Amino acid sequence: MTFIRAGLQTSVQDFGRPGYMHQGISHSGAMDSLAMRLANWLVGNKPRSAVIEVALVGPDIEFHRAMTIAASGADFELSLNGQPCYLNRSIRVVRGDRLTFGKLRRGCRAYLACSAELELHRYFGSVATHITAGFGGFSGRALRDGDRLETGTVHPEVNRELPTLFQLIYTGHYLLRCVPCVETHLFNQQQQQFFQNQRWQVSAQSNRMGVRLAGQALQHQQEDIRSSGLLPGSIQIPPSGLPVIAAVDGQTIGGYPRIASVIRADLPLLGQLKAGDTLSFNLVDIEQARGLYEKQQALLRQLEEIA
Amino acid sequence: MIRPEYQVFANGEQGVTLVFQQPVSETLSGYIDALAQHCRRKLAGCGVEIIPAYQSLTLYSARLSSEELIRQVERLLTEAPCENRGQSRLIEIPVCYAPRFGPDVAEVCRYTGLSKEAVIRLHSQQEYLVHMLGFLPGFLYLGGVAPELACPRKSVPATNVAAGAVGIGGEQTGVYPVDSPGGWQIIGRTPLRLFAPEKDIPFLAAPMDRIRFCPISEEAFEQLLEQAP
Repeated sequence: MTFIRAGLQTSVQDFGRPGYMHQGISHSGAMDSLAMRLANWLVGNKPRSAVIEVALVGPDIEFHRAMTIAASGADFELSLNGQPCYLNRSIRVVRGDRLTFGKLRRGCRAYLACSAELELHRYFGSVATHITAGFGGFSGRALRDGDRLETGTVHPEVNRELPTLFQLIYTGHYLLRCVPCVETHLFNQQQQQFFQNQRWQVSAQSNRMGVRLAGQALQHQQEDIRSSGLLPGSIQIPPSGLPVIAAVDGQTIGGYPRIASVIRADLPLLGQLKAGDTLSFNLVDIEQARGLYEKQQALLRQLEEIA
Repeated sequence: MIRPEYQVFANGEQGVTLVFQQPVSETLSGYIDALAQHCRRKLAGCGVEIIPAYQSLTLYSARLSSEELIRQVERLLTEAPCENRGQSRLIEIPVCYAPRFGPDVAEVCRYTGLSKEAVIRLHSQQEYLVHMLGFLPGFLYLGGVAPELACPRKSVPATNVAAGAVGIGGEQTGVYPVDSPGGWQIIGRTPLRLFAPEKDIPFLAAPMDRIRFCPISEEAFEQLLEQAP
């Protein structure tokens, strides 16, 4: 497939490369792993197959062979050869067809899956583009106008539509649930209340490394803490008092105190946050967090059993 | 060495961080490195991340609950060797301290009260220990910075620091392996690549290796840059 127009930050992603953080290699992979999984289901792929991640301004793609494609995640206006087509259902394309991502209505990132395998070199077991470090994916970078992505084996045709239950609506106002992190105890009751009561805004400086927030700063005495392993979802409070949530391309070791961590079930939502969205945090206990994740995974498995 | 005391902290839903109650030292890093390697061998197949740092070891498992992870780690702690018997290499990293590569030298001079020449001399005469890798692919956390050179991090991190940039952040020094945002004060640049993902061994150094920075001219920098694969 050829990217006639590449869009703002269109990149190849998959489930990422866990297991190498001790060498400074963050997971990478899809920011919204849930939407990636749904897109893969729609074309009959394995849940963790490589997909195209599209952010804010989408691409214009020409296909060179027949295959099934599907987009899930952020609500972009889509068209195939100038005719409207839809998110969350499989689309059959033939040689010469053109898929255009139009206006973004809701959310931030969409995932385009195709039934043909993307032929790319694996680094550390993954084809995900590590944009910050410049490796993986297509030439270690986001796609540019005119790039051509080669495809291999095409899987058998499927025709699916995502059940309504899985069609998430991104409202632009979110509640992220959190559990304690390494330095939570350095923040007093008042600071933790402030953190949860505040309505934070997502800053335009957010990217795949971290979601930066704006709002009224959290007043705190900056203790020079010792660096330690920084896992995705950790909410750091830098000296500015404005939280930064570590995302999939984030650094592996952090030096700023972490007030909390986003629960596993809510991590995919980080991929849908964009400038101007508002955000609140709510501390939950670990059992609650685990229950939410298990419920989410059970639903996904149920879906994936539909052959 | 006697096993250091530690405290256990939750690091999010799936992670655990052991914080050791000892000052930063070569002995402690040797212990943490040996413990990390032991955990990596024993927990293979649990979808783990095992991230050593100066005074901590962070463990994460995609498959085990944090309670189960703590139980496993406490068992592994009693088995792991206390001494590090790994090999240590001495690795030289050429650095050009010319003004165009060191935008923050003036800030370091202002804060430390040292001349530019003294900053370069102090920075390049030390032998540094690689405590761990992290932050970015191939980034080396080094110990052994002359106390006079210590300089606080920027309160607002710079949005783009060039690959090869050499910086000081608090009592730490290091090289940015790729273009990235960063909060350290930048004083020079190396033409070497600290991260080369296409190579069999993508990293220049490993924990417990030693590093020395060798000052080079701008000419030598350009020459080495051309030779770099």
